[in-house]
Amino acid sequence: MSDLATAVFAARTDAHLVDAPRSGRFAVFRTAFDEAAFLRELSARGFRWVGRGDPSFPSRLRSIHDPPPGLFVRGTASLDLLARPSVAVVGARACSPYGASVARMLGRDLAAAGIVVVSGLARGVDAEAHRGALDCGSTVAVLGCGVDRDYPRAHAALALDIAAAGLILSEYPPGVEPAPWRFPARNRIVSGLTLATIVVEARERSGALITADLALDEGREVLAVPGEITSELSRGTNHLLRLGAVPVTCSADVLELVGIDPEVSPERPTLDASLERVRAVVADAATTADEVAQALGESAQGVAAALVELELLGLVEEVDGVYRASP
Amino acid sequence: MLARTVTHALVGIEPRRVEVEVHIERGLKAFTIVGLPDKACQEAKERVRSGLASAELAWPAGRRITINLAPAQLRKEGSGFDLPIALALLAALEEVPADALDGHAAFGELALDGRLRPVPGALIAAEGARRAGLTRLVCAAESGPEVALAGIEAIGVEHLADAVSYLRGERDPPELPPPEDDFETLAGVPDLRDVRGQERARRALEIAAAGAHNLLLAGPPGTGKTMLACRLPGILPLLGDDASLEVTRIHSVVGERDPGSGLVRVPPFRKPHHSISMAGLIGGGHGGVRPGEASLAHQGVLFLDEAPEFQRAALEALRQPLEEGAVSVARIGGRARFPARFQLVAAMNMCPCGGRGDSAAQCSCTAERVHRYRERLSRALLDRFDLLLMVPRPRAHDLAGAPAEASAPVRERVLAARARLREQPLARTPDADQLLTRAVERLPLSGRGRARVARVAQTIAALAGAEAVEPEHVAEALSFRASAELAA
Repeated sequence: MSDLATAVFAARTDAHLVDAPRSGRFAVFRTAFDEAAFLRELSARGFRWVGRGDPSFPSRLRSIHDPPPGLFVRGTASLDLLARPSVAVVGARACSPYGASVARMLGRDLAAAGIVVVSGLARGVDAEAHRGALDCGSTVAVLGCGVDRDYPRAHAALALDIAAAGLILSEYPPGVEPAPWRFPARNRIVSGLTLATIVVEARERSGALITADLALDEGREVLAVPGEITSELSRGTNHLLRLGAVPVTCSADVLELVGIDPEVSPERPTLDASLERVRAVVADAATTADEVAQALGESAQGVAAALVELELLGLVEEVDGVYRASP
Repeated sequence: MLARTVTHALVGIEPRRVEVEVHIERGLKAFTIVGLPDKACQEAKERVRSGLASAELAWPAGRRITINLAPAQLRKEGSGFDLPIALALLAALEEVPADALDGHAAFGELALDGRLRPVPGALIAAEGARRAGLTRLVCAAESGPEVALAGIEAIGVEHLADAVSYLRGERDPPELPPPEDDFETLAGVPDLRDVRGQERARRALEIAAAGAHNLLLAGPPGTGKTMLACRLPGILPLLGDDASLEVTRIHSVVGERDPGSGLVRVPPFRKPHHSISMAGLIGGGHGGVRPGEASLAHQGVLFLDEAPEFQRAALEALRQPLEEGAVSVARIGGRARFPARFQLVAAMNMCPCGGRGDSAAQCSCTAERVHRYRERLSRALLDRFDLLLMVPRPRAHDLAGAPAEASAPVRERVLAARARLREQPLARTPDADQLLTRAVERLPLSGRGRARVARVAQTIAALAGAEAVEPEHVAEALSFRASAELAA
């Protein structure tokens, strides 16, 4: 049981350690380290520790070339969750409404199919994927700081929801503050835990691409969501596609890849003629209510009411006054 | 020799009776004003001395003159005390008969050549005089029409000598110029005809006008948010008599009105810059207490452009007037309560750089920055906006469509809807109720959000002239709710 001492020592010395080092410093630290007391305090705070030698440590993560000494765990779900088929959904923090809506849809559909959605609790794509997954299943968040730190703070409520229905993991003991270099290290756990990594939106040099590279290094699948070729936010994902990543055109593409039979999606409800006209315009391209009204030659107030109806039916989404068809 | 006149000091926008007492006795030559005068009031000495000389009235030689402004503990501010001091002095010198001042109040500033200048707040001084049972107020000729609004006879004089000859009974009270056409018109208010496109935003403005709803417009720069907002007064009803007098009083105190202009009839439109302080917005200031922009917008529109750029404290201070329709301000100079029942219109960009929502610009803001920007409007404040509209930039050229509808027909509809809403509240049909319930389940809509949507739906139904609130009215109202990101 030297895993815990290694993990705590690594965090204190800001080192990236796979195994216990053979330094004198570590030997001194280890003699002084009271493992039982540390674990007592940990469980008193409601956290768990799973060492790499533990049978419940996820085997996929154990097999990467630099697995963490172990994981600190927050949340009530069983660790069996980590053994289930899982997929990482990652992407830009400053994502577009399109990226947010795709991430949410993927999170929801994958969780509904019984796949565990893993991501990093960051803003943007990460958070949307978590939220989507929470709608109909559980999800796993991997942090680049201690599991007791809500980072970013705006996601404290989301972290609570995840802890209630899923797991929050970190290789760092509670109390460790986020630092820039910890995020790439965190990304190796995200990709290491999962069968495949989906990049939703990424700029040219993005943390999400690091995750994708790490996944490729370990021989895991990488998928990318195609975006507009003119958008900065699609540079990274389109580049991945050019290199041979699997394009994601719908949730079924992902399910197929991890070997789960996609269910046939339910038929869209039939709409009356006026709603259908409005839906058709929005389905072509994201647009504003005024533009729909102009295209159809109808009053803006009628179109606005129709768009609300479509939103309630789950066929249309609105962000910042721009309407787009739900994926 | 003792004499006194009556005038009124301003405390906030309330008149407070002040008696000006003059005592002249033998002694070393001296001229003193006591009774907490401020600097401007203290300087009345020089103006009165010079004014009397210009009116060819003799200054008493070798006399000790004491002026007391009673009650002594009330701070006296401004130059409106010049005339009452001069008249009391003349009465004490027996230049005018002592009883000539009975039933008169006085208010005005003296020029060095003895002419009279108008002073802000004449309307309030006049109201004080009327309430005190006085029948005439001697003031500058320019202030005459304003004083007359208070329902008291204005003795508007050009020069101190005119006032003296009037009080000696040598001449009749000077003729006031016939009151200007009292009805301020909408002619100067910008017209909705100039706003092309932006159908949704125009509609939001119309609903806001009909239901007196607060409105928040969010969109990239140059989408016409300001242009729309300043056209709101043009589609609101003109002020009624009571409201008009109240508004005129507030504007009179701060000297915003040209002396001699009539009542404020068009709902005021105030557009403070975002650097404004809390005192500037809700009232206060050093020394005395002046009404702030919130009160100047009383019965009209307060427009906050770039709302998130305002100081947080200033924005939060608006919650009291939004709740109560008035602000209480306490300062060293006193305590005052100003009416402040305004309609709030706020505009903001969708992100700090302004590029978001604009297909022609690239937004360079990080998610974190956008989030921080939007958080500057607190939840409590956002709750006050019934109508919330995102106004993305139209995708170019289609703007130059048919000429848009002018303000006049919109105003007709607004007035009709207001009349209908006054008659009786409209009930929701069962279908409309069902839609609202479905929306609460499906959309990010809080209990308060539901109440807001219900209010707006009622206004929309009234605008449509419907008997009850139908589902389509609720659906349109839902389209003006807070977008998930702002409301979450």
